[in-house]
This record gives sequence, C-alpha cells and structure tokens, in this order.
Amino acid sequence: MEGERLVAGLHCGEVLADLSAALDGRLTAERIRRIEDHVRDCEACKRFAGELTASVRALREALGEPPADPQAETRLLERLQERLREETQPHG
Amino acid sequence: MFDGNDVPPSDAALIRRTAAGESSAFDILVRRHQAAVRRFTRELAGDPAQAEDALLETFLAAWRGSARRRDDSVSVLTWLLTLARQALTRQNLGRQPAVQAAENTPLRELAQAAGWGRSGLAAESTGRQALETAFAALNPADREILVLRDLEGLAEEEAAAVIGTSEAVVRARLHRARLRLLAKLREGGSDGG
Repeated sequence: MEGERLVAGLHCGEVLADLSAALDGRLTAERIRRIEDHVRDCEACKRFAGELTASVRALREALGEPPADPQAETRLLERLQERLREETQPHG
Repeated sequence: MFDGNDVPPSDAALIRRTAAGESSAFDILVRRHQAAVRRFTRELAGDPAQAEDALLETFLAAWRGSARRRDDSVSVLTWLLTLARQALTRQNLGRQPAVQAAENTPLRELAQAAGWGRSGLAAESTGRQALETAFAALNPADREILVLRDLEGLAEEEAAAVIGTSEAVVRARLHRARLRLLAKLREGGSDGG
C-alpha cells in the first residue's frame, strides 16, 4: 500500500503477512506484542486488522452451524442401511 | 435414551460400539456428524449428487474402518472429514490446477483487493446474506480451508491432517482465503466505486 510505514520495528507488509496467525494465536507472545505495538500506532493497519477480524468473526457467527436438513439426514440413513444390508448379506 | 444414561455417549464410545457391529451406535454417530460432513462435501463437490455420494461413501468407510481406528488423539470429526476428502478425491474432481494458480498471487495483491490501505468496509457488508454470497463466490480450496478452520473450528494440525498437508500450508491458505473473503465482501458492499 502507499505510505507503508515502519512502526514498532515492523513494516506494514510484515504485519499483513502475520495478521491471521496473530488472530489465531499462532505466533509467539513477543511477535504478537510487536504486531500490537505496530497496529496501535498505524492507522491503516489498525483499520485493516479490525476489518479482517470482524469479517472472520461475522463468518463464524453467521455460518458456523451447518444447515439442518432432516430429510437429507433420513435419506442418508436409509441409503446407508441399504448398502450395509447388501454388504452383510451372504452372496448366493 | 442412551443406555439408560442421560449423558450422550462419546464419539470414542460410539466408534467402539460400531466396531463391535452395533448399528444403533453407528446411527447416533451419523446423526451427530452428518450435517458437518455434508456441508464439507457440498462445498467441494461439483454438484449436489456428487456431494451426497461422497457423504455416503464417507460413512460407509467409517463403518468399515471403525475396527481399525486406533488413534483416539484424532477427533472423530477430523477422521470423518479426512474420509470425506478421500471420497471426493476418488471422484476425481480435478480442482488442483485452479488451486495452484490461485496460490501464486502475491499476498499484497490479495490484501489490496481486500482493502488494505483503503477506506473502511461498510457495516452492511458483514451481514449474513452478504457473507453467504461472498463465501459462495470463493474457489473450492478457499471454502475448504474456511469450513475446516473457521466454521468447523478444527485446529491447524487437524485441518492439515484432513487435507494431507503441513500446518504451515494450512496457515498460509487460511490467510489467503480470509483475504479473498474480505475482498468479496468489499466487492459486494461497494456501489461499483
């Protein structure tokens, strides 16, 4: 992005590369602290990190539960029973 | 309802009972996990019929493999999703080239499309309808990693086991998928400007 900055010892591009891992807690505590320091003092990264976090949270909340489909569940169980019956019946 | 006990049986117990040939235990297992596995196969399969066939093959493989399942450290859902992915692969969906091409896109390019360095995202862009539309517009590989990590909540190592790759690849793919989702939300939420 234009005006990429060096803040808290990190460039904006380095923060970008680590944003998801930071969100998931997959970085060392020291790395997360440095990213937080950068984001605190960099308006562009603060806004983008906020948007990414919000979109992930919204995705989890809106689509987290798989859609219930009782008819499809019944059909699956019927097909399974049919196939298992075929497999367990002796061939003749 | 559950052997005279109000506590639902654990997945591990159901697998053991399935391995012993108890079909009612298997039914509980199917009912418990079929919605999650169906979502996974629907997101990756070419059409609904293929998805249903892969779902059926997944649970047949689970029935047949229950006695051989030894590693209780892998959750049953992770195991089922691994079987589902194998079933989908056997259907020869041929999506690998598209995935590899997409992964060559520079991260900064993806981020710029997602609004990196630009003005904020409109609040209505993260409503349920907008999310469903944006999610559906992603490529299958992105939907796969988002389903595994953000929707099913699998740990990084579990998602890596399902896909058959490393945790580092899962991490990179997830980040790119999230950026592309944000880009789609931005596209959908903009008025063309």
